[in-house]
Amino acid sequence: MVFFRKWQHRPYTHVAAFHSRPLFATSRSGIVTMALRLINHALRRQLAAQLPRNAQVGSVASVHTLDKIGKREVVGYGWNGTASYADRVDYPLPPIRFREPNNEINALRVKEQGDWKKLSPQEIKALYRASFCQTIAEVQAGTGEWKMHLGIGLLFTSAAIWIAILMNLFVYDELPVTFDEEHQKAQLKRMLDLEVNPITGLSSKWDYENNKWKN
Amino acid sequence: MLRITAGKLANALRGTVSGTSRVAAVRCLHGTEESAEEFDKRYEKYFSREGIDGWEIRKGMNDLLGMDLVPSPKIIEAGLRAARRVNDIALAIRWLEGCKDKCGDHQATLYPFLLEKISPTLKELGVPTIEELGYDKPELALKSVYDL
Repeated sequence: MVFFRKWQHRPYTHVAAFHSRPLFATSRSGIVTMALRLINHALRRQLAAQLPRNAQVGSVASVHTLDKIGKREVVGYGWNGTASYADRVDYPLPPIRFREPNNEINALRVKEQGDWKKLSPQEIKALYRASFCQTIAEVQAGTGEWKMHLGIGLLFTSAAIWIAILMNLFVYDELPVTFDEEHQKAQLKRMLDLEVNPITGLSSKWDYENNKWKN
Repeated sequence: MLRITAGKLANALRGTVSGTSRVAAVRCLHGTEESAEEFDKRYEKYFSREGIDGWEIRKGMNDLLGMDLVPSPKIIEAGLRAARRVNDIALAIRWLEGCKDKCGDHQATLYPFLLEKISPTLKELGVPTIEELGYDKPELALKSVYDL
C-alpha cells in the first residue's frame, strides 16, 4: 500500500501538459491527496525511527519480548527461543530467571560463587525461588480444584433431592384410588383373562390349568 | 543411558530395559547407530567442556530431559559439575529434579540407585538432595491467575 501511494504521488513533471499534476494543490481533491502524501511521509519516517538501530543478528528474543520480561536475566534457549517464563515438566529449564535481580539476590549470588557448603538451606531455597517459580513437585501436585467442582456438584444434587421431597410432600396430589393393592390385583387379573402377551410376555408366565404362576 | 550393573536391579527393571541389545542402540538418527556408552561419553564431554556457559548447559539439559531415557549417573554428575562451574546451585537442583522426574513409573527403584551413584559428587559440591531441601513435596501453592 505504501509503495502504491509512492508511485501514484510522484510529480508528473516529465509528462505532457494535460496529464501533469501540479506540485501544490489548489482544488479540494488536490488538497486531500497532498495531505495524504504528507501523512504518508510522516508515518514512514516514524516507522523508520522505531526500528532498532543495531538489531542483533541471531538474538533469541525480539524487541517486543524483551520489553515484556523487564530486568529478568535471559539464561537459555527454553523450548522455542522465546524469552518467557513457564514451569514445564517437559522443558524443566526455562529461558529466563523468574525474579528480577535485587540486592538480596545479588548478595546471594556473590556468596554462590564460593563454596556451596557454606550456603544455608534457606539461602539455597531463596536462590532457587529467584530462578524458578514452582518446583517440579509443585507443578505436578495440582491445585485440588476438583474438590470445588465435586462439592458444588453435590450441593446441586442435594438441592435437587430436597426439592423432590418437598414437591412430593406439598405439591403433588394424592395418587388415584386405582393405585392401591386391590385395584392393582384386579387389573392384573383382567390382563391375564385377556391373555395379554401370551407367547413370551405376561400370560405366558401364568399357568392357566392350575391358576398359578409358572415356575 | 542407564546401564544395569547390579543383577538384582536388572530383575526389578526387566519391564523397562530388556537386555543389552535393546540398550545398545540408543540413537538411530541419520542411519548411524550410537551405543549407550558413546552417547554417555558424548554428553559427559559436552558438560565437561571448559568454557561452557549457562546457556549451553541449559540447552543440553533440556535436550536430555526431552529424550526417552533416564540420564546415566555419569551424565548427571557432569551436569552438576557444569552447574558448579557457572556458579548456579538453583540450576543444579532443577537438573536433579528433572532427572528424578524422568524416572517416571520406576522412580521407586531407579531414583535410589541414581542417588547412590551420585551422592559422592553431591557431597563434594555441597548440593543438597531434593529430599534434604524438602522439595520432594510441594512447599508453596501458586494462586491461580483467575483468582488474582
